[in-house]
Amino acid sequence: MNAIRFQNVSKIYRRSHLGRVTETTGLSGLDLDIQKGEVFGLLGLNGSGKTTAIKLLMGLHHPTKGEVETLGRRASDVEVLARIGYAPEAAYLNKTLTGRENLRLFAALSRIPRAEIEGRVAEMLDKVGLGKAMDQRLSEYSKGMLQRASLAQALIHDPELVILDEPVTGLDPLAIKEVRVLILWLKSKGKTVLFSSHDISEVERVCDRIGILSGGRLVKVMKQDEWRGKPDALETAFAAAVVRTDGVGSIRME
Amino acid sequence: MQTISAVFAYTFKEHIRHKAWLSAALFGLVLLGGAIIVSALGADERARLLLDLGLAAIEAISLVSVVFLTVSLILVEIESRAIYLILTHPVRRSDYLLGRFLGTVAAVAVGMAVMAAMHLGLLTLYGWWEPLRYLAALACVLGKTAVMGALSLLLSLALTSEAAAMAFAVFLWMLGHFSSEMRFLADRSGSAFLKTALVAFSHAAPDFAHFNYRDFWHQAAPGAEWLMWAGVYALAYSAACLALSVQLFDQKEF
Repeated sequence: MNAIRFQNVSKIYRRSHLGRVTETTGLSGLDLDIQKGEVFGLLGLNGSGKTTAIKLLMGLHHPTKGEVETLGRRASDVEVLARIGYAPEAAYLNKTLTGRENLRLFAALSRIPRAEIEGRVAEMLDKVGLGKAMDQRLSEYSKGMLQRASLAQALIHDPELVILDEPVTGLDPLAIKEVRVLILWLKSKGKTVLFSSHDISEVERVCDRIGILSGGRLVKVMKQDEWRGKPDALETAFAAAVVRTDGVGSIRME
Repeated sequence: MQTISAVFAYTFKEHIRHKAWLSAALFGLVLLGGAIIVSALGADERARLLLDLGLAAIEAISLVSVVFLTVSLILVEIESRAIYLILTHPVRRSDYLLGRFLGTVAAVAVGMAVMAAMHLGLLTLYGWWEPLRYLAALACVLGKTAVMGALSLLLSLALTSEAAAMAFAVFLWMLGHFSSEMRFLADRSGSAFLKTALVAFSHAAPDFAHFNYRDFWHQAAPGAEWLMWAGVYALAYSAACLALSVQLFDQKEF
């Protein structure tokens, strides 16, 4: 059964400035099914459409064309969000709150029964290693601690589907390893995981399948057996599939 | 209901941690200045002047606070992207707006209560004690504050610029004090265009005549029916502004 389905999805951004309308294609004709229990990686350069695809799944954007479904419901259906955990590329948290208050807020928003909230919050903060810092304000947290707090809010309600937007970008090697362990743990619990990344080596270690996006189009889908045990296979496929659309040329030292 | 109360609680906490004490401190200075000035007056004049000065200061400080807080209420969360994490939980956008609005009005109301306690304390020292009439006047200030808060929130979503929203809010606040004059001018106007424009403005701008309890201060106090209509007007005007805000907010992408 599908956890995620994109059916011929396009997203065009229209911006108007002084009466002049400009259009940018975020996604173009995306068809993609992700199965329940699968770990799927979205690979692509900056501006390739990875974050657009994720925002469409989370209802932050509306598709210009096509249908987006998560867990059998339309992505715009607010109710389905109770079964999804999402962590964006940076920890966009309200820094006036403490770690505990922040997680209490997301637990309540995720409709966890009031009586269970305190126990779940303390348990989750312990799990992500913030047990001792739970009463500090987020403004006092380091970047790594904020990232953990962001992961905690994505997992507090035990979601069926976890969506992580660039979860390893900017993290130190130890934190990257911890994210990898987390993704594999989620997989072992039967969760579906979708994450986007630039980092080919991370993607090839944890994914069952990957999709390569370039210029808003899904240009290639690969299964694990196409790269497992074949050094550089994924990197070679990626380099062959993507085209720079940001107008930047390659580095040439001749 | 759980989501509205969760958004309400964090909004309230955020305001209290940031700004609420400033309004009370400012009011303390106004009262101190007022007390020094009135100490030179005759005994019967002192209490009357302090009463007028204090209520006018509470109203002005509350209105400035609510306009400042509501015009940035959503825009700041969009800018910091904290809104990503809220709206990717099962939260209806209408619930989010309502929780944010109510949390802000509650924070301003707490500031009002602190100011009122200081004011009543000083008035008691000067021999004035009419708590029921004082509470009625305060309830009218709260009604006015809620109306201005809802209007500022609507303007911030319609104009997407804090400065423009604030300028329009101040403009409509001024118009709101001249609703009957505008209708009078419309009746007398020979120009159909001017008549339509004046009638439209007089209906779009809030009619603050409903909340001018202080106008009756030194006459017979208006009855419970007058106060009830003030409450109904505040609720209806705020609800209309919030309904329009939800319409605008539903179309937004983040």
